[in-house]
Amino acid sequence: MRPHYLARETMRQLRNVRSLVFTFALPVAMLLIFGSAYGTGGAVDSTTHLPWLIVTTVQMGGYGAMMAGLSQAFAIVTERSIGWNRQLRITPLSGTGYLVSKVVAALAVAAGSILVVFAVSILALHAQLAVAGWIAAGIGLWLGIIPFALLAILIGQYARPEFAQPLFMVTFLGMSILGGLWVPLQIMPAWVSNVAQIVPSYWLNRLGQMGALGSGDAMAPALVLVGWTVVLTVLVTWRYRRDAVRA
Amino acid sequence: MTSATAAEPVPAIRLRRLTKRFGALTAVDDVSLDIHRGEVVALLGPNGAGKSTTIDLSLGLSAASSGSAELFGVAPRGAIVAGDVGAMLQGGALLPTMTVQQSVALVAAAHRHPLPVTEAMGRARVSDIANQPVSKLSGGQLQRARFAVAVVSDPRLLILDEPTAAMDVEARHVFWDSMREFTDSGRTVVFATHYLDEADAFADRIVMMSRGRIVADGTPAQVKSVVSGRTVSFRLDDVAAGQNGTEARFAAMPGVTGVEVRGERASIRTDDSDATLRAVLADFPAARDIEVIARSMDDAFMALTSEAAAPSSLTSEEAHR
Repeated sequence: MRPHYLARETMRQLRNVRSLVFTFALPVAMLLIFGSAYGTGGAVDSTTHLPWLIVTTVQMGGYGAMMAGLSQAFAIVTERSIGWNRQLRITPLSGTGYLVSKVVAALAVAAGSILVVFAVSILALHAQLAVAGWIAAGIGLWLGIIPFALLAILIGQYARPEFAQPLFMVTFLGMSILGGLWVPLQIMPAWVSNVAQIVPSYWLNRLGQMGALGSGDAMAPALVLVGWTVVLTVLVTWRYRRDAVRA
Repeated sequence: MTSATAAEPVPAIRLRRLTKRFGALTAVDDVSLDIHRGEVVALLGPNGAGKSTTIDLSLGLSAASSGSAELFGVAPRGAIVAGDVGAMLQGGALLPTMTVQQSVALVAAAHRHPLPVTEAMGRARVSDIANQPVSKLSGGQLQRARFAVAVVSDPRLLILDEPTAAMDVEARHVFWDSMREFTDSGRTVVFATHYLDEADAFADRIVMMSRGRIVADGTPAQVKSVVSGRTVSFRLDDVAAGQNGTEARFAAMPGVTGVEVRGERASIRTDDSDATLRAVLADFPAARDIEVIARSMDDAFMALTSEAAAPSSLTSEEAHR
C-alpha cells in the first residue's frame, strides 16, 4: 500500500462536490434545522437518556459518516465505467489495494464529516457533553462506517452504471430513514424500532449514542457491525476473485 | 532481471501460442511473437483483427485461453509492478473531474519509482494544459495527457493502443515528436494502429494482424510491398469478353498477380500498374472506362489472410524461423 497514493485519493474525494453536499452540507443543514427545533431546550430523551440535541448530533454525525462510506459505490461505478480502473491496472496498485484505498478514503472523509458536525453542534448550538463522550461517540461512528464502505464496494462491483444511481438511492434512503439517522426512531411506533434493527445504520446510531452516554452495552452494536463487516468482506473478496478469474 | 549467461537478452515481449476465445469467436488465434528491446513495433490491422485483445493478454489484463505472455522474462504483472511497463489502452480513460496534473500525480503516487510529475508532463507536451480539467481537453490533448500518465513510471516498454485516434494532423505530429524522444533513449514501443502510413513512418518493424492471426511480420518496406499493389480495371469489347483465352492473356502480362473477368468488366491485380496498363492497351486497344485503384488496406488484409493458409513470402512463421 502506498501512503502517498492513499493521501491523493482521499484529497481527491474531499474535493468532490458530491462528497461535499452529501457528507458535509446536508448533515450540517439538518443538524441546524432539527437541533434548533427540538434540541436547545436541554430536554432529555427518555429512551437514550441523552439530551435531544446530542441525539440529533449523533444522528447527523452518523448520517454524514455513513454517506462517506456509501458514496464509494459511486466512485467505483464511475471509475469502472470510465476505464480508470484499467489505467490503474497498469500500476503496482493491486486490486485489493484499490479496494482498501476506498475504505481508507471513506474513513478519512467520514472523520472530516464527524468533526464538522460535532464542531457545529458545540459552537453554533452550544451542545453540552463531556469530552470523553464526544470522543467515544466520534470514534464509535467513525469505525462503525467500515461495513458501509464495504457495502458500497459490493454495489460498485455489481451495479452497472444505469442501476447504480437507483440502487444507491434505495440503499441510502433505507439506511437513513430506517436506521433513524434522519428522524429519531424514539418518536415512531415501537414496531419501527424493531424492524430497524435489521439495518446496520440502526446499530451505527446506537453505537454513537452509547459512546455519548458513556454507558450501555456497546458490545451489542459493535458485534452487529463487526458481523456485517465480516459478511461483506467475504462477499467482496469472493466477487473480486471471481472477476479476476473471469477476466 | 537480465541473465548474465544468456547471449541474447530476454525479449521485452514474448508471446507463445497465445489464444483467446470468447465463446465461438477466437479473437486471438495461436499468436507467437518476440519483440526485442529497443524495437519500435507497429501492430497493424483493421478493427476486430485482435490487436487490442493481444495487448490485453500481453499485459495480463485478460487471461489467455491457452498460451503464455511474458514481459522482460517474467509474468506481465511482475513487470508492471516493477514499473517496467507503461500503456495507453483502449477504454482506459482519466477521470473527468481531475486536472491533467492531478491525474499524472495520482498515478505517479501508485508507482514505486515514478518520474517527477513535471518531467512526465514535459515529455508528453502537456505542461501548458497541466491545470485544465480532463473533461475540457480536446481529443489530441486527452491522448497526450494519457501519454503523460503512461510514461510517469519511466517504463522500459510502452504499449499504445491506437494512440493517435481522435487526433488531428497537427496533434499527431506533436505526439510522434514526443514519442521519438522516448524511443531515442533505447526504449521499446509497441503501438497498435490501422494506419499504414503511421506504421511506416514510425515503426522499424510492422506486425500485421488479421482475424486474430499474425499475417505478416517484417520491415515497413517489406510489408508495404505486400500492401501497395494496385488494381487495374476496365471494360472489354464483346468479342474479347466472350473469348476463353482472355484471362490467360492478362495473367501473362507484366506485374500481374491476379485476374478476374466478370461479364465485360476485367479487374487485374498488379504490382506494376504502369507496365500492366501499357500491355493491356497494346493488346486490347478497345479497352475503356479504365480505372487504376490503389489496393486498400482491407484488400491487403483479405489477401494476406487467404494467403496465410499457403506459405507466402512474408508470413509470421517464416519471420520466426
